[in-house]
Amino acid sequence: MSRALALTDRLAEVAEVTERYAADTDRAAAFPVDALAALRRTGLLGLLVPAEYGGLGGSVRDLVTAAQTLGRSDMSVGMIFAMHCQQSAALVGHGGDRLRKELLPRVAAGELYLASVTTEAGKGGHLLTARAQLADEDGMLTLDRFAPIVTGGAHADGFLITMRSPGEDATAGEVSLVYAHRDQVEITASGDWQPMGMRASHSIALKLTGQIPGHQLVGEQGGFHRIAAEVFGPLAHVGWSAVWLGTAAGALSRVLRLLRSPAGRERFDLSSELLLTRLSRARQRLDTVHALLQQTLRTLEAGQDLSVPARQLQLNALKITAADECHAAVDDLVTALGLRHGYLQDSPTRLERALRDLRSAALNYSNDRLHLADGRLALRDQGVSFA
Amino acid sequence: MDPRFTALLRPFLKHSGPEEAALTPDTDLRRLGVDSMQAIELLFAIEDTFGISLPDEELNDTTFATAGSLWRVIVDQLADEVPA
Repeated sequence: MSRALALTDRLAEVAEVTERYAADTDRAAAFPVDALAALRRTGLLGLLVPAEYGGLGGSVRDLVTAAQTLGRSDMSVGMIFAMHCQQSAALVGHGGDRLRKELLPRVAAGELYLASVTTEAGKGGHLLTARAQLADEDGMLTLDRFAPIVTGGAHADGFLITMRSPGEDATAGEVSLVYAHRDQVEITASGDWQPMGMRASHSIALKLTGQIPGHQLVGEQGGFHRIAAEVFGPLAHVGWSAVWLGTAAGALSRVLRLLRSPAGRERFDLSSELLLTRLSRARQRLDTVHALLQQTLRTLEAGQDLSVPARQLQLNALKITAADECHAAVDDLVTALGLRHGYLQDSPTRLERALRDLRSAALNYSNDRLHLADGRLALRDQGVSFA
Repeated sequence: MDPRFTALLRPFLKHSGPEEAALTPDTDLRRLGVDSMQAIELLFAIEDTFGISLPDEELNDTTFATAGSLWRVIVDQLADEVPA
């Protein structure tokens, strides 16, 4: 069996489980435990773990395929998966030898679902700053960290946590990344999770306190900015965009199947110029996102310095465009289909849930913030070169 | 490094404490607060002070990493401006 085929089969199994429970987890705002069990069982948690550690040895392109497929079934499951892969890639690329040997085989075996702890109160969403500080006590690192939003925090087996580096003179710009296993830290969850959409992502507030051995530092002390630039940023933008595209593509596909069904053709006038134009607009938006996603993948695969403005701008443009256009496409479809199939929860189109879920895309690492960064980056590229 | 350069750089180092009174070529700009948001304001200050324009292709993270790496790009540009 070829690897591509194997990936398709694994994804089909997870998608089937996801579809079965998605309405329930959405209604209850509950973490998709059955989909996570399927991700563990199929080895997909180890998608980006190299084969030498027992993983699937997948590429960023495979991540995009998987994220898009899962996003079609449920955006929360897609995001949970994409974020886990981002964490595992950070361990692969920046974990020390000992840490990689300890963790990667367990990730590949489906024993370690990783959550990301980067949010912090009072820092305004700035990924590259940290307030809570690590203390270095004879080679043991002590942490005491509150994070207002940790996706899957109540279910993760391990956490990658950003902390201010130890030392009296460490500044807010000196951020380190550490790994903590669930049983190494005391975890206090707080707050109620009742969001508009992304309800199954169960993104709760967590307080983590405890001590971890020094080798669980990922990358160098103060070196998180490198991991962010090389792994977190690119994989987040590409992975999330793929999930959003999947969610919108799934919505469009269900709409088209409804319209083409005998009942649909009775209910809707498929020669209506208004309906045709709205379908065209939705499809055009998704083709735009797809093209930008593919081009950004090629940029990542070329392996050049991503801090160059043209490349950074392309990566940010993907995130902004995917967030805006995928949401707008589903919004177009709601207008096209009207109240019964556009607005009601029990419609087989599931547009209502897709629209609620996709509303989070522009807020998840805010488009407003990215535009500010992009304006400055644009000023650094007077010649307007393209990646 | 030119005193004009260190003088223009200092206001951008918002995390700099008293122990960092002396700027050296190894001074880590990111650690002291020059993030990608600040980089463009810093660039304008450099271009105004020295009357030069830094080439687009040099405006990457490597250039803005340390005082020395940034100064090197400025020096290259100043050299180009000298009439032959």
